[in-house]
Amino acid sequence: MGIQSGSRHLKTVGALGTIAVALAACGSQGSGSSANGSGGQSGPVTIGSFSTYTGPNASLGPEQIAGCYTAALLINKAGGVLGHQAACQAIDDRGDPADGVAAATKALATTSNFAGTLGPGGQATAVAPVFEKAKITMFADSGDSAFNHTTDTYFWRITPPDSSAGYAMALWAQHLGYTRGVAVFGETTTAQTSVPTLLRGFKKLGGNMVLTKLLVPGAPSYQSVAASVVAAHPQVIFTETDPQTAATFFKELLQLNNGKAIPIVGTQPTYTPQWQSAMGKAIGNANLSANYVALQPYAPPQGKAYLVFNAGLLSDKKQISNPSQWSADPYTMTDYDGTIVMALAMLKAHSIQPQVYNSAVMDITRPGPGKTLVYSFAEGKAALAKGKSIQYIGAGGIIEFNQWHNNSQPFSAVGYTTSSASRIAGIVSAPQVAQLAR
Amino acid sequence: MNPFIQYVGFGIVTAAILAIAAVGFTLQYAVTNVLNLAYGAIMSIGALAAYAANSAGASIWLALVAGAASSAVVSVVLSRAVFEPFRRRGLQMFGMVIVTIALDLFISNGLLILAGSNPFSYNAQAGGTYHFVHMIFTGEQLAVIGIALVAMVGVRVVLQWTRLGRAMRATAADENLARVCGINTQLVKDAAWLLSGALCGVAGVVLGLSVSGWTVSTGDGLLITVVAAAIVGGIGQPYGAILGALLLGVATSLVGGFFNSSYTDITAFTILILFLIFRPTGLFSGVVKRRDVVV
Repeated sequence: MGIQSGSRHLKTVGALGTIAVALAACGSQGSGSSANGSGGQSGPVTIGSFSTYTGPNASLGPEQIAGCYTAALLINKAGGVLGHQAACQAIDDRGDPADGVAAATKALATTSNFAGTLGPGGQATAVAPVFEKAKITMFADSGDSAFNHTTDTYFWRITPPDSSAGYAMALWAQHLGYTRGVAVFGETTTAQTSVPTLLRGFKKLGGNMVLTKLLVPGAPSYQSVAASVVAAHPQVIFTETDPQTAATFFKELLQLNNGKAIPIVGTQPTYTPQWQSAMGKAIGNANLSANYVALQPYAPPQGKAYLVFNAGLLSDKKQISNPSQWSADPYTMTDYDGTIVMALAMLKAHSIQPQVYNSAVMDITRPGPGKTLVYSFAEGKAALAKGKSIQYIGAGGIIEFNQWHNNSQPFSAVGYTTSSASRIAGIVSAPQVAQLAR
Repeated sequence: MNPFIQYVGFGIVTAAILAIAAVGFTLQYAVTNVLNLAYGAIMSIGALAAYAANSAGASIWLALVAGAASSAVVSVVLSRAVFEPFRRRGLQMFGMVIVTIALDLFISNGLLILAGSNPFSYNAQAGGTYHFVHMIFTGEQLAVIGIALVAMVGVRVVLQWTRLGRAMRATAADENLARVCGINTQLVKDAAWLLSGALCGVAGVVLGLSVSGWTVSTGDGLLITVVAAAIVGGIGQPYGAILGALLLGVATSLVGGFFNSSYTDITAFTILILFLIFRPTGLFSGVVKRRDVVV
């Protein structure tokens, strides 16, 4: 064809293109810089929902903020906190640590009455120090094991760490009698955190992990990886991948394995409507129903506190799209609980400032003699007004923080029916996980 | 099954997608002198337009045409509304690259607002599985390879045997001289944007066909490899882009199979860097120059 273009430029275009692509790939936001805005006194008290709202893991943000919106609605219905209405603000970490730090810095600089935040999640190792330094209370949904023994004052974690999830996955595979496994995980920070304990736990239980593969999101094909998995003849595949990567990989795997599906044990982030929808289209709902479970923190959708949460959630169709999708979601429940605990701690400490109320968090959740059990913000507010000492029981169950501000929970193995409804296949108890972790 | 040959087969499918995108990218640069890094976002526009047509009941083939047409139109509009005004003001290449990055962010975020972040998939029959030597292809993948072959032959015919193609080559070689010779270079550039935009749209649709679930950012995700293929082939050389795509497609597939798919981008960049050091004009430029001398 011989199209020749500006031959003088030819040698420089390559380098220029490389630099420009790198710039485009990195593209991070700038950040503001001014004083922490949490000390103001008028206007609503703001709870940040620090999560991923764009990119492959964009389903995490709506899951988290649904809990915040529900809590804020019920807090405001009960008259607010110390004369303030409660409000939620989405803060997008874009699934990237650098973007997360920029977003956190910007939120600190521009948000009035910034009283606390749900999250950080996957970017916690980069972002938590920013909030810790700014003395902002965090109810993190990070699974990162680095926080298992954290000494951060403002960091609280209701959901169990991913290291526990790795052990729970291994225990479930053993329960089903699988001894030959393959680990296929996405190349993201969140996906990687449960891998070491999965490998350790599976081996400890007598299993053999014959292959461990990483998947880069957004590739046009994973066929060569799928072929190597088929060649390894696994009984089970352990996975955490974003919806589109999972759909592409597992469809190709099904084709290369002559239409025979291999059982899948996933982490909690695979148990989302987006993942289910993408995988249902890729491998068929029948295959998904018969061969897939995810291990997620067990928050039974029952009990007094859950009923309050669910009624509030379902009534907020204005702010929450399709609210019923989050009714049985343990993360939405614990994010709701985190917001309620922060609000009750503010009442207890008579301040919306985190550096004042943060120390009351433990008191609000810890059991103790003579404490009044409360199952909602309204009940807690009324009891505190009468001078009573309270223990908040959450929608996700009892919250009992240890000295490292971590809470332990059992896990449930959950999947879908052929009509895409949720089903619970079984429970892995917290003591089982603790024993394997020793 | 011999895994090496099997992985080469998978690499050919990836190469087919890359080739369509890389030929469009390099053709666009050759004639218009714009290194368009919004190319990935325009691929996503094509994929989305095809999805809209497919969801409305159109066959995947009609959807492919819709995707190609919309990306072609968007490319021409961008050229006239954005790139030409900047060029007239004397903006140099680096400045134009920044403009394309800004456009990419603008389009990507606009698509995210319009279409959301959930994955899409086309309604298309996957077809059976076909074995060839030690390679395995699905009907869908054979269709992707077929589309790539038709597109490549089409580009060859247009560039080699039509007046428009000759005018494009003349404009690419020396725009001022082409204008003096009576060629309407603006019209030729519009045609180049149209043709490369159509290839961009086709690439977006076949990429969506290849992956089971794609989002509005999937096109951008492939951009690095597309640019690498174009540069490895010799920027401005459509044949070179095909060779570059083949090299990168097969290399990344082999690395993904024998090692990890997390090394695929590293592989692409390593190949790119090696070429920039040892053969900065790319695979094909030397061949073309020698042939031109003979002619």
